[in-house]
Amino acid sequence: MAERKQWKWADDPSLNKMELTKLEKDGLDVIETIVNTYSKEGFQSIESSDMDRFKWAGVYQQRPKDGHFMMRVRIPGGILNSEQARVLAKIAEDYGRDLVDVTTRQAVQFHWLTVESLADIFERLASVGLSSFEACGDCPRTIMGNPLAGIDPHEVLDTRPLVNQLEKFFLLNREFSNLPRKYKISISANIHNAAHAQINDLAFTPAKKTIEGEEVIGFHVWVGGGLSAKPHLAKKLDVFCRPEEVVKVAEGVTTLFRDFGYRQKRTHARLKFLVADWGAEKFKEELIHLVGELETQGEDLLKGWNGGYFYGIHEQQQKGLYYAGLSVPVGRMNAGELVELARLADEYGDGTIGTCNTQNVLIRNIPQDRVAAFQAEPIIVNRFKLKPNTFVGYAVSCTGTEYCNLAIVETKERMRSLALYLDDTVTLDTPLRIHMIGCPNSCGQRQIADIGLQGALVKTPAGMVEAFDIHVGGTLEEAQFNRKLNARITVDMLGPFLAQLITLYKEDRLDGEQYWRYVERVGLEKIQAQVDSILQTA
Amino acid sequence: MAEEQAESFLYKLEAVLEGGRLLTAVVLAKSDERAFITAENNILRHTVAPPVIKELSLVEKKPIGRQGVGYVIETSRFE
Repeated sequence: MAERKQWKWADDPSLNKMELTKLEKDGLDVIETIVNTYSKEGFQSIESSDMDRFKWAGVYQQRPKDGHFMMRVRIPGGILNSEQARVLAKIAEDYGRDLVDVTTRQAVQFHWLTVESLADIFERLASVGLSSFEACGDCPRTIMGNPLAGIDPHEVLDTRPLVNQLEKFFLLNREFSNLPRKYKISISANIHNAAHAQINDLAFTPAKKTIEGEEVIGFHVWVGGGLSAKPHLAKKLDVFCRPEEVVKVAEGVTTLFRDFGYRQKRTHARLKFLVADWGAEKFKEELIHLVGELETQGEDLLKGWNGGYFYGIHEQQQKGLYYAGLSVPVGRMNAGELVELARLADEYGDGTIGTCNTQNVLIRNIPQDRVAAFQAEPIIVNRFKLKPNTFVGYAVSCTGTEYCNLAIVETKERMRSLALYLDDTVTLDTPLRIHMIGCPNSCGQRQIADIGLQGALVKTPAGMVEAFDIHVGGTLEEAQFNRKLNARITVDMLGPFLAQLITLYKEDRLDGEQYWRYVERVGLEKIQAQVDSILQTA
Repeated sequence: MAEEQAESFLYKLEAVLEGGRLLTAVVLAKSDERAFITAENNILRHTVAPPVIKELSLVEKKPIGRQGVGYVIETSRFE
């Protein structure tokens, strides 16, 4: 075990219990204990205080807490290579019941792991430069980025080196392994906000500024975003950050969070609470006090929001090369399918695969003369489609009751089948993003969806029935969270109800008007009236 | 670690009574099913005449492994 640090908050009598647990033994120390003890002596040997620390190894107990674990693997910036993909697939095949999930933060998740398998999995991941460490826990999580970095015609600079620098700086860094709460970083130079800046604790978005007569491409800095049960949009600081200052600024923001963030209540600990109290101006002052002078804001280069979607075959920056954005319905695939993706990446591309925050994937660097053959591959035609149907293509779901201890309802399979139903029932030529979540914690990012569905259980004469509350009008384009309607729809009614609601929108919208824009234009009262009329005739 | 016991959760349920009256019940239970029963019993105790519950929904659950678990219930504004 590493030498214990003496943190400045250690003597605070009002610390919550988890803070005391972290002071007693750093979360990162559990990795060694898992390898040397728990993986050899089994589930029964795990001390309850260490079970909380398992998160720092990227591992959670999965429902119903019978000795199986979920593991999250960091995919920095959402780019991995085919060798890494094959290792991930083999882990899923050998230990994880053949299941691979792509998450809304570009990571990969396994389920059904036993503690006995963890040491071997850590080793396999490390052998290809991957890690599950600090993918969970009160520490800097997977660095989110633009999965097209380096090839994106809509980026103003290649952020891959910066993602790597941030990953190298934060991963296993004991200066930052004990933060007040989870901490999410995103960096992207894509002008369409591909990395969802406003819902991260710290985000870097593309900007430019003329400094001493020279135009510099760099970043604006956002702090204090996050969803969960109390969603907040990040605030933009009045600073301009050169690429070479990114790590310094990230270290500064994270230091402020570590040293001034709240540790009394876990429900009031995320960076957003400190930012809300200090305000952007004070936060900037404190940051400059730590890292030195920074330029003031320059010109924002963000133009709208692509939702994190890249479907289809598209030209890259590099002439004659193309990328392929593929649909993975609700982010779930099996090991064999991941191996197939690795093969496609090798045979057609440069061996790299992108993971998207929309739970999808992409293949990079396909030469023009190989595009037709790629499109004809059976797995592309039948499974990971380039042009998915509207609802399957824009459906996002959390894990739900299948594996999550906090979920009230099943979501993954339900969202998949609901999307299929809507595609069979309603024809729509514009994307409509539906996100389904099983509890208020919003892993499925319900708040930013055109239509967000949040699960509940309803007691009926026939017994307990799953149902969903309906929220409408979320977006990060002109950032606003969706708003709740007065309607709780049981699952048997959900498909027909949504089909009617979407049909009313389709008939009433302006040409090509997206759903969130429609909600904004006609107002929530009108949408509620539509809902009431549907329910009256049901 | 001792053999895994069924974990208790703090549940939040919303009830719509006949006449449109809305209630929120917070109960401790070891399963979703027990949460409904416990909520109904508590609502029964809360009302003088046996209530006609038109709709009862379980909307949130939190494990009680730690001190400090609870809910904030928004109520009507006091004018």
